[in-house]
Amino acid sequence: MSLRIGVVGAGGFGRAIALASARNGQEVTLWSRKERALPEPIRTSTDMTSIRDCEVVFVAVPARHAAPVAEQLGEVVDGSHLIVHISRGLVGGELKTLTQVIREKTVCRRIGALAGPLVADALAEGRPSGAILGTGFPELTAMVREAIGGSGLRIYDTRDVVGVELASATVGFLTVVIGYAQETGAAPGTLAVLATRGMVEMSRVGKTLGAEESTFMGLAGLGDLIAAVAGDQRPELRLGRALARGSNLETAIGELGAYVEGFEVAKHLLEHARRNGLETPISSTFVAMSEGRMSPNDAIQALMERRVGTE
Amino acid sequence: MLKRFLSERPLRLPHIKPYVPRPSDPAIFWFNSERDDIVSDVVSRICTEHESDPSRLELALNDAAFHEIRRLEKQRDEEARDRLGYWRSMIRRIGKMDDTEQRRVLHTIVTNMARDVAGNFDPRVYRFARRAVPRLIGGVMEPRRLTQDLMATSPEALGRVLKAQGDLEHLRHLQNRGSLVFVPTHSSNLDSIVLAQALEISGLPPVIYGAGKNLFTNPIISFFMHNLGAYRVDRRIRVSLYKEVLKLYSQVMIERGYHSLFFPGGTRSRSGMIERHLKLGLLGSAVEAFTTNQVRRIDRPVWFVPTTINYALVLEAETLVRDWLTEEGQARYIIEDDEFSQIDRWIAFFRKVVGLRGACIIRFGEPIDPFGNAIDGGGQSVTPTGRVIDPGGYVEHRGKAVPDPTRDAAYTRELGEVLAERYERETVLMSTQVVAHVLFRHLVQSTPGMDLFARLRLRGEIRVERETVCRELGDTRDRLRELENRGRVRTSEVVKEDSPIELLDRALNFWNGYHDSTAADLEGDRVVLRDPSLLLYYQNRLVPFAEEIADPEQLEAACEIEKLGVYR
Repeated sequence: MSLRIGVVGAGGFGRAIALASARNGQEVTLWSRKERALPEPIRTSTDMTSIRDCEVVFVAVPARHAAPVAEQLGEVVDGSHLIVHISRGLVGGELKTLTQVIREKTVCRRIGALAGPLVADALAEGRPSGAILGTGFPELTAMVREAIGGSGLRIYDTRDVVGVELASATVGFLTVVIGYAQETGAAPGTLAVLATRGMVEMSRVGKTLGAEESTFMGLAGLGDLIAAVAGDQRPELRLGRALARGSNLETAIGELGAYVEGFEVAKHLLEHARRNGLETPISSTFVAMSEGRMSPNDAIQALMERRVGTE
Repeated sequence: MLKRFLSERPLRLPHIKPYVPRPSDPAIFWFNSERDDIVSDVVSRICTEHESDPSRLELALNDAAFHEIRRLEKQRDEEARDRLGYWRSMIRRIGKMDDTEQRRVLHTIVTNMARDVAGNFDPRVYRFARRAVPRLIGGVMEPRRLTQDLMATSPEALGRVLKAQGDLEHLRHLQNRGSLVFVPTHSSNLDSIVLAQALEISGLPPVIYGAGKNLFTNPIISFFMHNLGAYRVDRRIRVSLYKEVLKLYSQVMIERGYHSLFFPGGTRSRSGMIERHLKLGLLGSAVEAFTTNQVRRIDRPVWFVPTTINYALVLEAETLVRDWLTEEGQARYIIEDDEFSQIDRWIAFFRKVVGLRGACIIRFGEPIDPFGNAIDGGGQSVTPTGRVIDPGGYVEHRGKAVPDPTRDAAYTRELGEVLAERYERETVLMSTQVVAHVLFRHLVQSTPGMDLFARLRLRGEIRVERETVCRELGDTRDRLRELENRGRVRTSEVVKEDSPIELLDRALNFWNGYHDSTAADLEGDRVVLRDPSLLLYYQNRLVPFAEEIADPEQLEAACEIEKLGVYR
């Protein structure tokens, strides 16, 4: 018996999830704010009540739209629905994860976060890839694997939901850092140090928010970062390069034509780190430099002069 | 000998004529007629589960024998002399037993455990207790009123000291429609007695609850505990099967509609802080009770009532905080030599709290289903916007209710978080706690860079102008009011209504003469901080709010205080 899959959001990921589910023989309904056309047998609707009969609902909207969309969704779902979100962002200064937002706005409890080196095009076309699902509910993992997994997509799972969400949000920011370094001609070794040490310092911040550090070193963190650096055309990488060419932050974001969440999230994470007395040299220095509070030379000097410790 | 006899076979009154419960009686009145059935249900479920896997069965028997031998060897008492031989002989034979023999032994062990756990309910003892206990407590508090209180319909002394708050009408309405599970914060061994009284004065039903076997060593307490439905929990037993029996016993009782009480914090809050990390074992049993009923298509909802027990004066404060502050204390789970076991401290405690309005407030929070949803007047789960939902949906897989322990464990973890959040919101801050916070914050502020333990050694060395304390109390109270208006916390009537001077005097009055050394007292126009550990204990209730109720110049001290919260 096919699963009844709901997809909320018709961006790149929303469409990819819908196509992957339909390819796996599931019954798919996609909700979007505006009329959209997708290939048969995917049903599309602008009416949220069309999601009511679905068993698993994928929420694929940017973090900044998550609260109002979740509120609408909350009017039609109940405890029998299983929800998965695909978002690399966090909400507001309180660093609220999307899982928390969905939990607040709906009565659903079986919630998961899908992350990792997932690329919308590859998912839509069924090219081999992998992902990680953070959830405390094994039945949700089983249903997501049935919905979109298979020979084209290996879906690993973890109970560390908050770790998956924070690691995923961190990748957005570190990709900007890597993009910047690439543009300035940094050697591969420099990129590796930035990636690994950057991830380590963010994992320390994550730990204070309830995440497991190891999650940052898996698919949700380093795995996703490798995909981004290897060239899956993320806007964050382009943002970093634009900053390195001398654009200021606002102009660079404006010219991207895409919404980049990583930078804002990083600022909130760093504020949290400061309040908790945690050291985040790479991230703090990069933010200071991007905001014009530090020159690139001073930034490199500040980082290189730091005392080296045990890994 | 007598102690052991009483703890293992508590006294029961002879039955001349069996009591036939009336339809209006609370569920627990049916307990005695169902007890054997409940015990055999527990035994049967555990045995079935283990018998399906021979390796698990053998492991369970080995685990039981190993832990019991270890416990009894340490105990070296009469029980050890009686039982050690049995377990030693068994552990030698387990490997040689065939499947049938192993099953028989398992059945015997589990049956003995379940019988030991199961309590008794005697309506005569219940009726006596509901009339006499409040009067006796009142008598201890105010001997001159004892005669009047014994004659009165409602004894006054207890009423003055103990207040019950919350939407009691809603709870009264729900009591006949499902199983209520009261899940209170835990500060003192008096909690279960005080809560039982609060249920009584609020017109709420009696509940079953687990009581530590150490409490059954006192013959009078043992008699009442045993005959009022309490089930016995021997915390010394580390056997996995025993833990399964306890959980399942609680689960079966809830499935059958018995209203229950357990403390999700597990043990008394040593620090005095509001519990944050809850033990999920018994909480999980209540969630599984809901699932089991759904799978069996029994329409008997389970509702949790987050409850806070708020004392202005805590009977065992000194021992608890001392325990919290010492590493040894962290591991000491059962304290048998604290103020609870000293009758003179009970009397001193009750005498102290009488006449000081609002010494104890029990606040019953809004009931929630196992998934954290609110319950409407009709007993239905509702969304925050008031839409009625079916809680059965949470345990369905593809439209059918199915058992799934892993799923239920995940729900239980989430429920634990919801309860912890409710505890903060439903905590009623008392006069002593607010005054202690202001004084302790002053101590932190005036000793920058000093560590906690160095500060705790400053006994009687810090003096603050009374006027300064009163001004800071007034400001702190104003900020607490703002938090209360936003639904973040609650304050007692006394904290709301008293002037800062009255508030300070009241707190000093509570402390003076009860604790071995007072927390603070007056020396002319100055308040002397006599015992920073006690101040720390009482102020710890405000840890989650410290930053929000501080002035800008107190912020650094408040942040330090808030960091204490990581040890919750």
